[in-house]
Amino acid sequence: MFFEQLGGNLIQGIVLGAVYGMATMGLSLIFGVLKVVNVGHGAFIMVGAFLTLFLFSSLGINPIIAIPVAFIVGMGLGLIFYYTTIRKLIKAPELATLLATFSIGVLLEELVKLIFGSEFRGYNWVVGKIDLGITVLPMSKLYACIGSVLIAVLLYLWFKKTRAGSAIRSVVEDSEGARVCGINVGWAYALSFSLGIGLTVASGVLLTMFIPVGINPYMGGAYTLKAFVIAVLGGLASPYGAFFGGLVFGLIENGSYTLFAYIPGVEPFALTRFLSFVILLVILLIRPTGILRAK
Amino acid sequence: MKQTQKYFPLIPLFAAYLFMFLLAENKEGMWQLMSMLLFYCALGQAFNVFMGMTGYVDFGYVAFMGVGTYGMALSITRLVQYEFLGAWILVIGFGLAMAMSTLLSMAVGAVALRLRGAYFAIATIGVNEGFRFLIEGARIWNGSEGMIFTADLNKILGRETAAALCTYWADIMVLAIAALAGFVSLVYMRSKIGYALTALREDEDAAKVMGINVTKFKIIAFITSACLAGLLGATAWALKTPYVFPPEVFDIHYTIEAIIIVMLGGAGTLLGPLVGGLVYGISKYYLSIFLPGFQLLIFAPVILVIIVLFPEGIVGMLKAKTKGTGMERFVI
Amino acid sequence: MKRSLVGIFVVFAFLLAGVSFAGAAPDKIVIGHPACLSGKYAKAGEQAVGGIKACVEWVNTTYGGVQVGDKKIPLKYKYYDCESKKEVVTSLIGRLVSVDKVNVIFAPYSSGLTLRGAPVAESRRILYMDHGGASNAIFRQGFRYIVQTIGPATRYHEGTLDMIHKIAPNDKRLALAYEDSEFAKMVMEGARDHAKKLGFEIVFERTYPKGVTDLTPLLSALKVSKPDLVLGGGHFEDGQLFNRQMADLNIDVNALSLIAAATLPAFYRALTTMAEGVMGPSHWEFGVKYSAEQAKATGLPWIGPSQDQFMALFKKFTKKDMLPDYHAAEAGAQVLAYVLGVQKAGSMDSTKVRQALGELKFMSFYGGWKVDESGMQVGHSMVDVQWQDGKRVIVWPEAAKTGKACYPMPTFEEKAKDVKAIPK
Repeated sequence: MFFEQLGGNLIQGIVLGAVYGMATMGLSLIFGVLKVVNVGHGAFIMVGAFLTLFLFSSLGINPIIAIPVAFIVGMGLGLIFYYTTIRKLIKAPELATLLATFSIGVLLEELVKLIFGSEFRGYNWVVGKIDLGITVLPMSKLYACIGSVLIAVLLYLWFKKTRAGSAIRSVVEDSEGARVCGINVGWAYALSFSLGIGLTVASGVLLTMFIPVGINPYMGGAYTLKAFVIAVLGGLASPYGAFFGGLVFGLIENGSYTLFAYIPGVEPFALTRFLSFVILLVILLIRPTGILRAK
Repeated sequence: MKQTQKYFPLIPLFAAYLFMFLLAENKEGMWQLMSMLLFYCALGQAFNVFMGMTGYVDFGYVAFMGVGTYGMALSITRLVQYEFLGAWILVIGFGLAMAMSTLLSMAVGAVALRLRGAYFAIATIGVNEGFRFLIEGARIWNGSEGMIFTADLNKILGRETAAALCTYWADIMVLAIAALAGFVSLVYMRSKIGYALTALREDEDAAKVMGINVTKFKIIAFITSACLAGLLGATAWALKTPYVFPPEVFDIHYTIEAIIIVMLGGAGTLLGPLVGGLVYGISKYYLSIFLPGFQLLIFAPVILVIIVLFPEGIVGMLKAKTKGTGMERFVI
Repeated sequence: MKRSLVGIFVVFAFLLAGVSFAGAAPDKIVIGHPACLSGKYAKAGEQAVGGIKACVEWVNTTYGGVQVGDKKIPLKYKYYDCESKKEVVTSLIGRLVSVDKVNVIFAPYSSGLTLRGAPVAESRRILYMDHGGASNAIFRQGFRYIVQTIGPATRYHEGTLDMIHKIAPNDKRLALAYEDSEFAKMVMEGARDHAKKLGFEIVFERTYPKGVTDLTPLLSALKVSKPDLVLGGGHFEDGQLFNRQMADLNIDVNALSLIAAATLPAFYRALTTMAEGVMGPSHWEFGVKYSAEQAKATGLPWIGPSQDQFMALFKKFTKKDMLPDYHAAEAGAQVLAYVLGVQKAGSMDSTKVRQALGELKFMSFYGGWKVDESGMQVGHSMVDVQWQDGKRVIVWPEAAKTGKACYPMPTFEEKAKDVKAIPK
């Protein structure tokens, strides 16, 4: 019984973890290249979620097609915000970028609220389920998981195989050195920022494929916090690290519930959340570069 | 600089607080607005002690206010049965609030203060949520049900005194905390701590090389700031609103508000949190009256503009302008 | 430079002084309300404002004003946005009392914000009416000026249990899974006590934290306990998630009842067929059969618009195609209670009106209204609603129901094939 339940939860955890990982890659990419912590991260996920909802409910467009659409919209948003604010703040103290990205997040939330209202929405995309015996997986969750893995692989290849990708990698290593070598650092910054936002908005689509309800302007906050824990698990500056961090986080979040449920007199669900923050602190204490060193 | 001149900037600060107090006391209908403004000023002043001087952003700051609220709440609900303690229960509550926020700040500091910049911000971002989930998950201090203790407070102080405490004296205490935080800030700024932390903010490595024990001073500022937050929670939340629910007292929005206030006014300045608190509080108040529902939509772009165009904040700009004039002594 | 500093001070002083420019005309009775129009309770706040406006309009036009002595005085409604934040609540109450000179304060939404305003109202000795704070604890604090219209939390799920006890006496395996918040925990407590009284066996009892985004681990554990019925919920967002993920995991039970979520139209819009047969307790639902005739039958005085009139007035004051839900009805009924209280007291004095409200008993489109000594609502009973073929049918109590319950509800597999919950 115990192992069945644990096994079921772990399967759910790894599927969810892949989506979580994908939802954190943008955050890590932006931090890795620009050294900017995007505190408004969740708001961009929310934009992706609303985009999916709008495309599906109003135009009847399949959520899978919404992924590239969201990515392009995100790239556009990223460019706009990069050139209007972030570019001017790169050399400023951290405080300035923290507050700026936070304000951008609030701005997006309020704009979406103005357009769509603050109601919690959802959509119903029925594509069947598979029964694994110990747990049941809807196909939409499975597609979200596969989509996340594919995007992570694509990003990896893009970094390794293209000129633009290697230019960005060299900026991460040493931005002064890259400048000397003739790489346009400003361009690399703009590209990485918009790429990061594009990934994040696209991850909003994948998240709604996993959980197609609870879509509202303020839904991002919960994901911002999770994304930070995941990013730290993955070493903060590495997008692939973040992806694996997401997998680990999904496993911990779902797996630990079964264990905590055996402690009498506590609420296991809240404790799984507490555990993730303990993990955050412990990793930062013993190994700030992350436990997963995927380069 | 002469010894007395050191403390000249306190004159405009205290004058402003006195002015606010007198206005609230004598003008009908001003009290509740003023109490909100004072809360924001106090929040900014307390937050500024650490963030302003070091440039480190503590996203989990509200957790210190939260445990401070719990300190007072625990003292009231658990000690109400000992009637002989009387109003001393509140004194014990303040002590407990300070002790608990100090302990938490030491625990957080032990981890987070080893880290720098963005890493510090991220280490602290989960502290408030984490603590909330611990209270709810392990069912500590009534877990998610929280505590409601107007009845207990009535029992300790009597109905009239308790009501006066909630609606009048609690606000006076917030005022006192704001003034205290301002005074402490100035003392720190004018002492070795301030110089060391300024050096740290400019260049942490250089400060270390120069032989400044930055860690020690960072810890002092961090604990002081946390302790003031604990006091603020105990008064502005526990005494003014005699209840405590975990999701409310660990709500990250208060940290954000603190950051906005300090940034608006000018980080690391003495008068900044006062000016920032007033500007933020008053605009929030008028927006809620004239444009209900649109405050955040207006605030967000305004803040963006401020960060991009006036990163020094209002007082920072004033400081630059008064340089070399007679006013220089008063503005910091 | 000195001048500019002085200038700044003058500007502040001016802004602060501007607070007390406006005055209130004495020939009006003013209701003050720090409403939640933005922030986390924006949805409920919008509804409440609409409901209040509708009933104020009814009192002023149809009813002809509030009868005090031999004069008919019109009602006025003054509200500000409190952003769902406690700091703003107290400052706005201060303004409403001293600047707008209101005669009564309607509390903001939620127990927390209601509690925040209570001491201020208490010290200003002004009547404080609670239409959105369901916590029983509010009324254990000894406030003297508070009166509640919303019913207390402990009674939310009692009706559901009564109904199942009656229609399926052999289904006794009960699972409780509520949100870990002050309000939902109180509902859970009430449900647990009532279930034990009726002889249910509680096979699962857990909570989940506020703001949860994935309930899979909890629901997997719930599935293993094989319950006949599941009661739970907390807020709208987690209720939606609860239903959705039960469907994802194929957890089929005979009855599912969720508080605060299942009764809203947005719930069905988001979940469509998955919500078929799902139930929820509600303070009020459009379609309840409270009417002047029923009031006569039960011996209660009737006041206020009929349900359809209320709906029409509500729509007049809300821009979108919004339908009134229980938040609107509660707030509206509270206006009516206040009007009756003033008339009974023959004065607008808060102490007198409070006393009159303590003795008041009446029925409106919202149902019965009566408070106990502490001000807690005891005269209003809840209804249970079930989604049947995309419509909300009131299935309990017998007196208010508009249709029979569909029990057991169809399985999620059937629902995915578009099987609707139609009672046999």
